[in-house]
Amino acid sequence: MPPNTLLYNIKDHVAYLTLDRPQESNVINEALAREMKDICERINLDKDVYVVIITGAGDKAFCAGSEPPEASYTAASVVARIDRPVIAALNGDALGQGLELALACDIRLASAEARFGLPQLTSGMIPSDGGTQRLPRIVGKAKALEMVLTGETIGAEEALRIGLVHKVVAPGNLLGEAEAMAKNMASKAPLSLRYAREAINKGMDLTLEQGLRLEADLYLLLHTTQDRTEGIRAFLEKRNPQFKGE
Amino acid sequence: MADFEVITYEKKDGTGYVTLDRPHALNAYNIRMRDELYQVLGAIKDDSEVKVAIFRGAGERAFCAGADLTEFLTAPSPAIARQVRWARDVWGLFLSIPQPLIAALHGYVLGSGIEIALCCDIRVASEDVRLGLPETGLGIIPAAGGTQTLPRTVGRAAALEMLLTGRLVDAKEALRMGLVNHVVPRQELLPNAERIANKIKSHPQAAVVCAKQAVVRGLDLDLEAGLALEARLARLLA
Repeated sequence: MPPNTLLYNIKDHVAYLTLDRPQESNVINEALAREMKDICERINLDKDVYVVIITGAGDKAFCAGSEPPEASYTAASVVARIDRPVIAALNGDALGQGLELALACDIRLASAEARFGLPQLTSGMIPSDGGTQRLPRIVGKAKALEMVLTGETIGAEEALRIGLVHKVVAPGNLLGEAEAMAKNMASKAPLSLRYAREAINKGMDLTLEQGLRLEADLYLLLHTTQDRTEGIRAFLEKRNPQFKGE
Repeated sequence: MADFEVITYEKKDGTGYVTLDRPHALNAYNIRMRDELYQVLGAIKDDSEVKVAIFRGAGERAFCAGADLTEFLTAPSPAIARQVRWARDVWGLFLSIPQPLIAALHGYVLGSGIEIALCCDIRVASEDVRLGLPETGLGIIPAAGGTQTLPRTVGRAAALEMLLTGRLVDAKEALRMGLVNHVVPRQELLPNAERIANKIKSHPQAAVVCAKQAVVRGLDLDLEAGLALEARLARLLA
């Protein structure tokens, strides 16, 4: 058995995925891409996982790209198919396919020392794991074009300013911050989390009117759940709700 | 609208003032408020004398602290709730108003409260404002457009964080993320909203209505179709 390239564990309904090739800057290779696909599929079947955190081992890189031939691996597209909230804890550099992986997550928290870039053009390629589509949707067209066409890296402060990351924290506090956010989410009703996320993520690709239809249908579907009754009753009785995901 | 109980509506110099008026209940949105809001919005939409409208909350503590949950456990079946939702589509009506709408926000702006604010075009807030969406902690999701209007206003990641954690956002953060246009001291809130309203009223109304339509409808179109819409509206004004 080759060593695992991706660590996976679950604690208190939060799943942790850690890219674990720190000597190679957590670069994606065939084994890592395959494990990523397997684990993402497993998450979708696991009722106990409410929230997912993706991070990298070591303090240098989240993921510095991929081994050639890059276009043969996918990581972002399998992460994008996870149907729970996904937080990226960017502990270090997120470059090339590593940044594309981060872009497929819902929320990006970054270490103050992390750097970001899509250098594929310097080797005659273009980003091929969703970068040309997700980056402009997050930071706008002009900034995305600048990053892709120059291939230059930016620091955490600029990433925060342009909206590429949601929050910048001191390196030592990053995982704690991601964990606090994940725990907060995991205290909510699991089906509400999934539906709220679906309404936002799918709704952004629809017209407003179509999005409102989707929201209303998902809302009304929650009428049939025990967690809705529990949530409202707990509020009226001024106690903490006990959600079961049913 | 003389028999209104939970909303007051007045018209002054071309500005419509809509006040959510249940201050003892932090202006919580209930079925009665839905019905009155539906009437008021219809009246504004059909009234060419109203050039702009301002929405605000009565009392010191809240613009609107969310939906009145005491009415929630008596909810009808999902099929009936769905029928009711679209039979009296207050949120669709809200988003179809041609005149500019300004929300003057203070205190708690939660759940349905922030969703009302997001149906408006311009949001002004006082320094004491606290905005948030607590729905996922109650086993529900927003149902007045919040999952659609919020990410279109602040982006996907910020919207997801607010919605999935239920965390409240203060005035400074709301301004930084573009959730509100301006933050002012509490006593300046209404005067500030009125200054914006007066500036809007000083422009030809047809141009104002066309500009709003070009922006709002254009956001749902691809760039080419949006530019064509803009050109058509501009020709209407020529």
